[in-house]
Amino acid sequence: MQGFAGGGDGGAAAELAHLQSTMRAIEAACTSIQMHLNPAAAEATILSLSRSPQPYKACQFILENAQVANARFQAAGSIRDAATREWAFLTAEDRRSLVSFCLGFAMQHAGSLEGYVLAKVSSVAAQLLKRGWHDFSTAEKETFFHQIKQASLGIHGIHVQFTGINFLESLVSEFSPSTSSAMGLPREFHEQCRRSLELDYLKVFYCWTRDAALSVANKITGSDSAVDEVKVCTAALCLILQILNWEFQCNSNGKKGVNVFSSGIRHDTALSNRTECILVQPGPGWRDILISSGDIVWLLNLYTALRRKFSHEGFSIDCPIAVSARKLILQYCSLTGTIFPSDNGQLQEHHLLQLLSGIIPWIEPPDLVSKQIECGKSESEMLDGCRALLAMATVTSPTMFNQLLKSIRPFGTFTLLSTLMCEVIKVLMTKGPDEETWSWEARDILLDTWTALLMPLDSAGGIVLLPPEGVDAAATLFAYIVESELKAASASAFNDDSDSDYLHTSISAMDERLSSYALIARAAIDFAIPLLTRHCTERFSRLHQGGGSFDPTETLEELYSLLLITGHVLADEGEGETPLVPTAIQRHFADFVEPDKNPVVILCCSIIGFAEQSLNPESRSSFFSPRLMEAIIWFLARWSQTYLMSPEESQDSSYSSKAGNVHQVQSIGSGRTVLRYFSEYDHGKTVLDIIVRVAMATFMSYPGEKFLQGLTCYQLLHALVRQKNICIHLVTLKSWSQLATAFANEKTLFLLNASHQKSVAQTLVLSASGFRDSEPANQYVRNLMGHMTTYLVEISSKNDLKRVAEQPDIILSVTCLLERLRGAASASEPRMQKSIYEMGFSILNSTLILLEAYKHESAVIYLLLKFVVEWVEGQITYLEAQETKVVIDYCMRLLQLYSSHNIGKISLSLSSSLLNDAKTEKYKDLRALLQLLSSLCSKDLVDFSSDSLEAHGTSISQVVFYGLHIVTPLISLELLKYPKLCRDYFSLLSHMLEVYPEMVGQLNNEAFSHILETLEFGLHHQDSEVVNMCLRALRALASYHYKETASGKMGLGSHASSLRNPKGELQEGIFSRFLRKTLQLLLFEDYSPDLVGAAADALFPLILCEQGLYQKLGNELIERQANQTFKSRLTNALQSLTSSNQLSCTLDRMNYQRFRKNLTNFLIEVRGFLRIV
Amino acid sequence: MSDEEHHFESKADAGASKTYPQQAGAIRKSGYIVIKNRPCKVVEVSTSKTGKHGHAKCHFVGIDIFNGKKLEDIVPSSHNCDVPHVNRTDYQLIDISEDGFVSLLTENGNTKDDLRLPTDDNLLSQIKDGFGEGKDLVVSVMSAMGEEQICALKDIGPKN
Repeated sequence: MQGFAGGGDGGAAAELAHLQSTMRAIEAACTSIQMHLNPAAAEATILSLSRSPQPYKACQFILENAQVANARFQAAGSIRDAATREWAFLTAEDRRSLVSFCLGFAMQHAGSLEGYVLAKVSSVAAQLLKRGWHDFSTAEKETFFHQIKQASLGIHGIHVQFTGINFLESLVSEFSPSTSSAMGLPREFHEQCRRSLELDYLKVFYCWTRDAALSVANKITGSDSAVDEVKVCTAALCLILQILNWEFQCNSNGKKGVNVFSSGIRHDTALSNRTECILVQPGPGWRDILISSGDIVWLLNLYTALRRKFSHEGFSIDCPIAVSARKLILQYCSLTGTIFPSDNGQLQEHHLLQLLSGIIPWIEPPDLVSKQIECGKSESEMLDGCRALLAMATVTSPTMFNQLLKSIRPFGTFTLLSTLMCEVIKVLMTKGPDEETWSWEARDILLDTWTALLMPLDSAGGIVLLPPEGVDAAATLFAYIVESELKAASASAFNDDSDSDYLHTSISAMDERLSSYALIARAAIDFAIPLLTRHCTERFSRLHQGGGSFDPTETLEELYSLLLITGHVLADEGEGETPLVPTAIQRHFADFVEPDKNPVVILCCSIIGFAEQSLNPESRSSFFSPRLMEAIIWFLARWSQTYLMSPEESQDSSYSSKAGNVHQVQSIGSGRTVLRYFSEYDHGKTVLDIIVRVAMATFMSYPGEKFLQGLTCYQLLHALVRQKNICIHLVTLKSWSQLATAFANEKTLFLLNASHQKSVAQTLVLSASGFRDSEPANQYVRNLMGHMTTYLVEISSKNDLKRVAEQPDIILSVTCLLERLRGAASASEPRMQKSIYEMGFSILNSTLILLEAYKHESAVIYLLLKFVVEWVEGQITYLEAQETKVVIDYCMRLLQLYSSHNIGKISLSLSSSLLNDAKTEKYKDLRALLQLLSSLCSKDLVDFSSDSLEAHGTSISQVVFYGLHIVTPLISLELLKYPKLCRDYFSLLSHMLEVYPEMVGQLNNEAFSHILETLEFGLHHQDSEVVNMCLRALRALASYHYKETASGKMGLGSHASSLRNPKGELQEGIFSRFLRKTLQLLLFEDYSPDLVGAAADALFPLILCEQGLYQKLGNELIERQANQTFKSRLTNALQSLTSSNQLSCTLDRMNYQRFRKNLTNFLIEVRGFLRIV
Repeated sequence: MSDEEHHFESKADAGASKTYPQQAGAIRKSGYIVIKNRPCKVVEVSTSKTGKHGHAKCHFVGIDIFNGKKLEDIVPSSHNCDVPHVNRTDYQLIDISEDGFVSLLTENGNTKDDLRLPTDDNLLSQIKDGFGEGKDLVVSVMSAMGEEQICALKDIGPKN
């Protein structure tokens, strides 16, 4: 370290020389960094300045005298680093003078130095002021702020004014928790600062800034080239924006729950989560300043004046001042909450109206605006206009939103929104699909606006009341959207870019858009449903008329889009729940009492009828392309979750229980008609049959269409069997048993993707829950899986298995069989448990034979292990003691066999990617084995069997430890780098050590030391969850040992004491070793603060076990301190760690808690200086 | 919509015992496939379509199991691909000769002396080092389509 510490003893001249040499060194370093000459050394020089004790004088000297701007910048940074580090040791005078130096420096050199240096110096001043926020007296703060006020009001000229505003900006961002810089202080400190600034200063800052902006505004509007004033004004606008962005928390003043419904203003908190629009809620204290002050009018006028100047030089739509002004206007649009009085929203309406009339010229008339943009005008003003609409939509109710425009135009805001969006879509249609254009962005913002308006809020009972004008606007817009989507579809029908080919990519890219479309359609549902029906039937008949004479591709692509849109309009996504019929559909179409005439029924039936046509081989080959089938399957899956055999319809009269809502009366007619039509009492069964047959067709007649078949498996069939009431009917359907028979016997179904076969097996087994009794359910499973187990046993008992096993066709069969068995095993339910146990039991031996035969074929081995894992996991809790013994013995044989094949094995390959693959495969295998052990463990926790295991001489803990003993040697530290394996391993290990510490004493030395090694590894792992688990394991071990030895027993016996290992080196006992490690970790290393509690829990019993060593370590620590103050502090801290809070030597809850508290205090007291010195 | 024009010329030297036909859609990652007449391990499978409303085709990326080279192929997923019969046999390593051949003990007590050591230095040293340390080594020999190579090494304890 070079001696940059301030001043020596050699008098003024020597000191000056010293300062100058420091300055030159820093200047040289900065220059060389810029020239990229030996940057490492240069950085070290600069770092040594900020790390040296009390470098303030040198830094100040550099700031004032350096020629290189970068050197000044670095000097400012060094002041900051050193001061935050040494703050606690500085005298009050030092602290004050540092802040005032920085402030003074920035003011003094305003306008004459580089901007970034000044900004840095102000930000250092702001940070130091915050650091000392609690240390400075009010008078001291007042002095600082007086200086700033003078500056920002422009008394010392325009440059100082700019610097003043700049300083305030740094200060506000420093005090806002999300943008504050780290100071090594607890979060509480930042929180207190935030609160204090919000309560005492924020409003004052706002006023100063506004006054600053006002003071220069006239000059800007008056002249064309007031450059410096523009700079000040821009900065002021930015600062106001920042102040309004503050996360106001002291805004409620205890008053909550203003009249939500009548006022037309939304108050709920869900609001802000939903849109990306940031709400500004400063609370009633700000009303005078923000609303009544007329600032908004002033701002709008300023922007209008700027707009007139856009043609002049120096001003444009995108110049900084215009951008900030627009941003600020947007921010005012987002004002909401208690800042407005509870006057039925009058003040807010007035406020928004003011803003809207200022914004209207940006977006109206839409066609003209868009034409101008297409001709080269910047789009940012128009986009900001759209954003303003979004902000207003977020803070108002639909009715009030519509009303806003009515007072200045003959139509409402909805009409404007609709025309604007149609215009945007029109422009969008002329562009290519991949161009990211302004119309793209505008459409997304406007869609968000619709979403904000139409998304039903929980507080309003899921009802959005739209004014009639809104409904009309939505209808017009939806018709236009559908038209344009269809146009886009047919235009892209022949595009062959593989990215957008897939349903999942197009759905996830379009999903948000589609659900916004659905909201718009539902707002005008009376119009939308017939429209969709019309479009669908038109295209269906076009396909039939064509009869093979024309290329149907465009029509197919249009239908694809239509199906996606219709699916979204008709039904919501379930996300695991049973989705309800959308409220709009429930409430409308009440007049159509006859189901055949209900538009929703008509639309559903026409699509299902179309899907049924895919069963006809002729039409299938002529127009049911795989892609169209994907859309059909997706639609059927989504639709059936809501409408098919809805449980609501089966349980009589559940509807009336939801009464209490006026609008519910109507709904009894409509939504119910549709549900009733598709219920089990009416057409439900026919439709279910069609769906099953269509699903089967995708398996049989679309060979190799993996994606389509995946959709059928995972979306459609899974969704069906998830509903019990559907299962009841599924198992009675002829088509379902055809599917089951085909699955068991047909060769085509063995050609499905293997993981799809797993899913089909799972689905088929799950449907057995539709049987009323367990006997037929078990019989069904036996029939289904019997073939497969027989086949597997047959293969495994072939005499020439060794020869044929590696033939590709045999591998394929075995793979498919294992996947299917795995699928069935994962579908374990109490009702089918018996047959699934038998299924697994019948092939236990075969699996061991196959494990041997395929020991080189890792893909098969993995499947086999996964089957066992899933089978054991599903079965273990139900098994009787005798069965458990069989399963456990089997598992142990499996583990041993696996281990004998793999231990000490090295793969050799020229290709590094194949070697990596081999490593990954190994990791997956081991993870499966650990999962197997974990599920065995669970037998001790959850057990439904009738007799106890111990009676049969089986101890789960012994078995699992034995298993661990087999598995751990296979797990190298290298493999523990796979995070999932690592977590699994440590959670199993810590579980075992916590629950069965007594077993550890019985482990042999090798196994024991392996466990210790991994624990030590885990203690330094990055993942704090892993560290936490290791600490828990340590706590369990140590407390077990302490308690046992206290009562005169062995505890961990020889493992606890020091031993000589075979090489003659002395090995520490486990507890000494980990006491050292834990202390080392706690005092000197980096860790998440969340771990302190767990570490305390481990440390306490460790100290009790090894009190002698603890004393020794403590003394060593004290001896190492050179500094007397620190030495005594450390001694006291160590003393109180073990003695304060009446800590005693028993391991009970109270003592653990006390020790946690003690340790936290201890660390706060000493960790700081232990780590630095 | 049909792509029946895709079909395969029969592979001249891919005899029935060496390769088996299998539907492209059924071949999965970490299985085997013949690409350009070389046995490969599949490291990546992706599917795409021939035109939006056409049929699926599989795109395979394979790594030659003998020389580690990367090969790619695209096959309509309902068509058949050739899958190599990859066989692996364990032998005990008896000796490493000066001229780069190994001597292996077969199951029935004979020796197999026709297998060359790998030429790659790294692999070579892994085998030689283990053997030099006097460990009892079992080597797995992988053979497919008329080629064979040592693919794994296993230590079964010190030589007595």
